[in-house]
Amino acid sequence: MIEVEHLHKIYGSTPAIQDITFGVEKGEILGFLGPNGAGKTTTMRILTGYLPATSGSVKIAGFDVHEQSMEVRRRIGYLPEVPPLYPEMTVEGFLHFVARIKGVPAGDRPTRVKLAMRRCNLLEKQKVLIRKLSKGFRQRVGIAQAIVHDPPAIILDEPTVGLDPRQIIEVRNLIRSLAGEHTIILSTHILPEVSMTCSRVAIINRGRVVATNTPDQLMAQLAGGSGYELEVEGDLAMLQPRLQGVPGVRGVKAIAEPYLPDNLCKLHIDLEPGSDPGRQIASTVVGLGMGLYEMKRVRVSLEDVFLELTTEEKATDLAAAADEAAPDSNPSDSPATDLADTDPLPTPVSAASLTSPATSTEE
Amino acid sequence: MGIILRNIIAIYRRELQGYFSAPFAYLIAGIFWLLSGFFFIAILLGPDGLIAQVANADSRGLIAPVDVPYQFLSVYLGVLGSLSLFVLPMLSMSLYTEERKRGTLELLATSPITNWAVAVGKLLGVLTFFVTMILPLLVYEAIALSASNPPINPLVMIVGHLGLLLMAAAILSLGMFISSLTDSTILAAILTFALILFLWVVDMVATGIGGTLGAALSHFSLVKNYTNLVQGIFDPSNVIVFLTYIVLGLFLTAQSIEAFRFQRS
Repeated sequence: MIEVEHLHKIYGSTPAIQDITFGVEKGEILGFLGPNGAGKTTTMRILTGYLPATSGSVKIAGFDVHEQSMEVRRRIGYLPEVPPLYPEMTVEGFLHFVARIKGVPAGDRPTRVKLAMRRCNLLEKQKVLIRKLSKGFRQRVGIAQAIVHDPPAIILDEPTVGLDPRQIIEVRNLIRSLAGEHTIILSTHILPEVSMTCSRVAIINRGRVVATNTPDQLMAQLAGGSGYELEVEGDLAMLQPRLQGVPGVRGVKAIAEPYLPDNLCKLHIDLEPGSDPGRQIASTVVGLGMGLYEMKRVRVSLEDVFLELTTEEKATDLAAAADEAAPDSNPSDSPATDLADTDPLPTPVSAASLTSPATSTEE
Repeated sequence: MGIILRNIIAIYRRELQGYFSAPFAYLIAGIFWLLSGFFFIAILLGPDGLIAQVANADSRGLIAPVDVPYQFLSVYLGVLGSLSLFVLPMLSMSLYTEERKRGTLELLATSPITNWAVAVGKLLGVLTFFVTMILPLLVYEAIALSASNPPINPLVMIVGHLGLLLMAAAILSLGMFISSLTDSTILAAILTFALILFLWVVDMVATGIGGTLGAALSHFSLVKNYTNLVQGIFDPSNVIVFLTYIVLGLFLTAQSIEAFRFQRS
């Protein structure tokens, strides 16, 4: 449905994106993931024909974006980074206008506009001036204008920016419900968003695609980092070597946790790939007469994959990436998995992610 | 063809809606009406007005026949032309700058609609707003002239107002091009104003240097072509000059929007 081949874009002498190649099958949702400034918006703009590429080609539904621009424009819905809205129009009036310039036949317009408003939960605001809408509603009007003409391909540039957690869930459900009949590309720097909505992920960093795969497989590629997290009461010095001896355990490490009561401490157990000695671990702890307060399995999250793929050696880069990812991350994707190596970062990431699970960093 | 027309109408309607819901547009219209009303009274009834002059000439026994309605109309339309010079850049300044600021240019550029259709729709929209600014003036012109003796030739009136309309369209078209170059509304207004002033001045320069070059230059002058029409002389060449400016403005606008996408960084 969407084929992108060897896309380059050079602004002056700085390359914004280099050799981007990927394809999206009909009905798929591709998540385009990358830190800010990685080239996501540039790629989106080239896909929609708003910007010309320096070299390379984009085909949507078999039409070249540059050569057959009008054909492509008829077949795409696009939500830019900033939703394109006319503040002096009502929601309904604006959607009618968009339907008209997108070439929806006059007879279909009322139903298309109604449907788009219903899908985006805008019916209560249909007669309200866009100027008076809150940011979340504006974003929804932006999504509604991208789907009002029922395009086969939908391109969404950061669709959940500025929404509150409930609205984010609604928008994600909406996007998922659009898959199947529509092909969707959405860009985001919010990691859980990708694992929750997308059937495939392309991770982009510094203008290059560094990985394309399903979220599960991406995580599997980096697996080996799966393990357990324990909260225990008792003598750690005695426990640690015993756990170390359990077959399948690769390493045991204590985690500093400032909010934990003094008598408790936290452990991270790193496992060999393919083994799952949960039972033995539990019985070891209990067998020593220690208190087991919590035991949970941790998996590599997409966040870890992302950090691994998009960061280079420099610690400052890592910190920046973590800062960016952290406030958006979901608490369930607890990232404290890479503790085997002496990486100081996962703890701050998880701390931040617990404090504000779903706010965007962009504002 | 039908699609293009539909698109033009869609843009046109949106533009009109924008003007009629913008307080700023009403402010401009209000000031325009105030000033034009003031000049109307001053030219017709003021102490140095036409009626006073005729009465004065009459009392001194000079009985040169004066066609007051005709005189009035050409002087008044001349004043309206000068007023428009100040008003039109304010109408055209936000045509594209606002689209750019709101990001809606991205919507238009990714919709199946050509830059030409957008430009034509916008020009027609702003021109319609200008016409609604002129309409009330027609009412009091009609009241004044209906009682005139000798009666005014309706053709003179039509040609004069056609001239005003054409000149406004030409200025708005060029102003639209300038607004497509920048995302600063103020800058667009200033540049448009400067350009119009320049075109206005070309006339004086042309008269100053004289000769063939002067004559050639004067053909491009807005004021020269406008004055001809205002005097009720219908010369197709005047109309053609204005139409050329209009098409030039549209062409440059469409091109600059296209180019903007290519060189954007």
